Amino acid sequence: MSNSVISVISRFLEEYTSTTPTKLKVVDSYLLYILLTGALQFLYCLLVGTFPFNSFLSGFISCVGSFILAVCLRIQINPQNKGDFLSISPERAFADFLFAHTVLHLVVMNFIG
Amino acid sequence: CYNVPLRACLFLALAGAQALTPSHHLSLSDVARLQSLLSQPFTDLESAYYSVVGLTKLGAEVCHFLKSELDPASVDSLFFAVETSQAISGCEIPVSNETRDILLAAVSEDSTMGQIHRAVSALGSLGLPLASQEVIGALTARIEKEDNVMAITSALLAASRLSQQAELGGILEEIEDLTARLDDLGGMYLQFEEGLEATAMFVTAAYSLSDHVGVEPPLKEDQVIQLVNSIFSKKSWDSLAEAFSVASAAAALSSNQFHVPVVVRTHGPATVSHSQPTLQLLVTDVMSQPLTSANVLVESANAASSKSSILSQAPFTLNDGIFEFNFMSSQPASGYYQFTIAVTGDKRLVANQVELKVKVSTEVAVTNMDLSVVDKDQSIGTKTTRVDYPSKAKSSFVADSHQYFAMAFQLVDVNTGVELTPHQTFVRLHNQKTGQEVVFVAEPDSKNLYKFELDTAERKSEFDTISGTYSLCLIVGDATLENPILWNVADVVLKFVDEEAPATIQPKTLYVPKPEIQHLFREPEKKPPTVVSNAFTALVLFPFLLLLILWFKLGANISNFRLSPSTVLFHVGHAAMLGLMYVYWTHLDMFQTLKYLAIIGGVTFLAGNRMLAQKAVKRCVSR
Repeated sequence: MSNSVISVISRFLEEYTSTTPTKLKVVDSYLLYILLTGALQFLYCLLVGTFPFNSFLSGFISCVGSFILAVCLRIQINPQNKGDFLSISPERAFADFLFAHTVLHLVVMNFIG
Repeated sequence: CYNVPLRACLFLALAGAQALTPSHHLSLSDVARLQSLLSQPFTDLESAYYSVVGLTKLGAEVCHFLKSELDPASVDSLFFAVETSQAISGCEIPVSNETRDILLAAVSEDSTMGQIHRAVSALGSLGLPLASQEVIGALTARIEKEDNVMAITSALLAASRLSQQAELGGILEEIEDLTARLDDLGGMYLQFEEGLEATAMFVTAAYSLSDHVGVEPPLKEDQVIQLVNSIFSKKSWDSLAEAFSVASAAAALSSNQFHVPVVVRTHGPATVSHSQPTLQLLVTDVMSQPLTSANVLVESANAASSKSSILSQAPFTLNDGIFEFNFMSSQPASGYYQFTIAVTGDKRLVANQVELKVKVSTEVAVTNMDLSVVDKDQSIGTKTTRVDYPSKAKSSFVADSHQYFAMAFQLVDVNTGVELTPHQTFVRLHNQKTGQEVVFVAEPDSKNLYKFELDTAERKSEFDTISGTYSLCLIVGDATLENPILWNVADVVLKFVDEEAPATIQPKTLYVPKPEIQHLFREPEKKPPTVVSNAFTALVLFPFLLLLILWFKLGANISNFRLSPSTVLFHVGHAAMLGLMYVYWTHLDMFQTLKYLAIIGGVTFLAGNRMLAQKAVKRCVSR
């Protein structure tokens, strides 16, 4: 049972490293970074309690928001999805990504207290 | 602005829409005070004018002073001197041709309204000829330029010095305009926001011009009374000018041809009784001068409670300046009566219908006071003791739990013998030893016979079951009684069952200091130790390191970085936005941040747009 799981995972990793363009891998590593940051924040909150609750929320929502925006960017710049995003060039996707981040950071900074 | 009594406003608002009667006027003491203020020694011409002319208007070795202080080149100086000399007899101010020319030159539309008024008055008082049409022209032109209340009032006063044949209609219309500018306060007061002096001088000027022209001023009766209230509500005056204006207004309102407000006051309290059967009224003008030529009569008098009419059309008789009416001759029962009084005899009288509440009081006597101790099972016959006011029963009455104490009496009007039911009929029992006091109410039955019963067993809680000797007092009182009664009738010994040890009466502990409340401040939240939070801060920064390592491994680089102005500007702008976020966290508020963000963001957007467009072009070309 675990054997098949391990083989599935190794197969997946192999496919991933070979077929994914570098650009997407850059975005994926960014996604991993965001995920880890968010997870660590949540762990801290679980351990010591929610004392500055607004700060915790703002930090956590920042991670979640950034993750979502990065996922959107990844979908939009993936050349395999070009058919779904005919009117949105990768540059446009990146510009949208930056604008949405500005708004997100404004809100996060307001709430961080 | 001066004080407006709020209480008076509320009272009239509650009273509803009644015909207005003056609530303020100059009483004799007010007139005396005004006179004493105006009688103060004066130091310059202006004060002399106010004092002397003001006193004269009120009914009070000046000439020499006037002549020595006169400055013949000044219009104001001439005005004060000439007007003051008019007020005293036998004082002539010498006048030369230059003086006349100065005064005539002042009558033009280039002088202020005050100057025009003073010049016109001085010329008129000196008997010098004056072209009325020219003056009217100057006044009309000046009214356009100087629209304030004092200026138009001066215009009215100037117009009243002109010939009666002149066309004063235009100026006369200004009275109506000014009336519209008065402020109505609570339906009781009508005054200019400029203050008392403006209002009083307006009244003086309006009546002065109206009398001169012979046209009734467009003031309604209610408005006249409201003006009276405003002008005479202030009883101490700040300056001679203000006092002068009040005196002028009082004179104008007492003796003009159209409206004379009437003030009706009772002489003493509005109470009649057998000892004082006449209702005395003072009917005066606003200066407390009696209107002896008036006819005063009671239009109707109704009992306040039953609204039945007692009198109709009964005249008052004038006795030494006071109007008297013998109300007791109509034999009214004691109580309150609503009188409507009408003052006639002069068609100029304003507010000549007055409502007055008159009290008829009487004396009460307690008769047939019977005290007895009744046995509950009626086995022993009751013994009734009669007590006469004001003596006390010789022996005390004993009542224990098997008996009750009874009292019966009647209250009659001494003069008419009619039974009375006063508002307060109380029976008070006072324990002399403990100081305890219990009060009961005696109720009349259908035949107006008062009965009081004290059931010893039933009432023991009110007495705290303390047995002992209580002195019994009867208290009778009412607003219409002249002789309230407090009569120690008898001593009563009450014996209660289940008596506790007589405790000294504790006054209720209402007013001792209460226990102090300790304020509990909000506990600060439990914070984790600094070590833990510092450790996690470092831990959270660790994934960033991981990101950089991964990117390096993937071969992400900036070798494609084109050093063009738009790229540089874009990156600088983006860095600035991130910096702004940090500054927002530490220093700024949302509005300032949005402002800066708009600027930096705009720049970054334009640069970024250009940069990305260039990249897109490069990508399409390389395809």
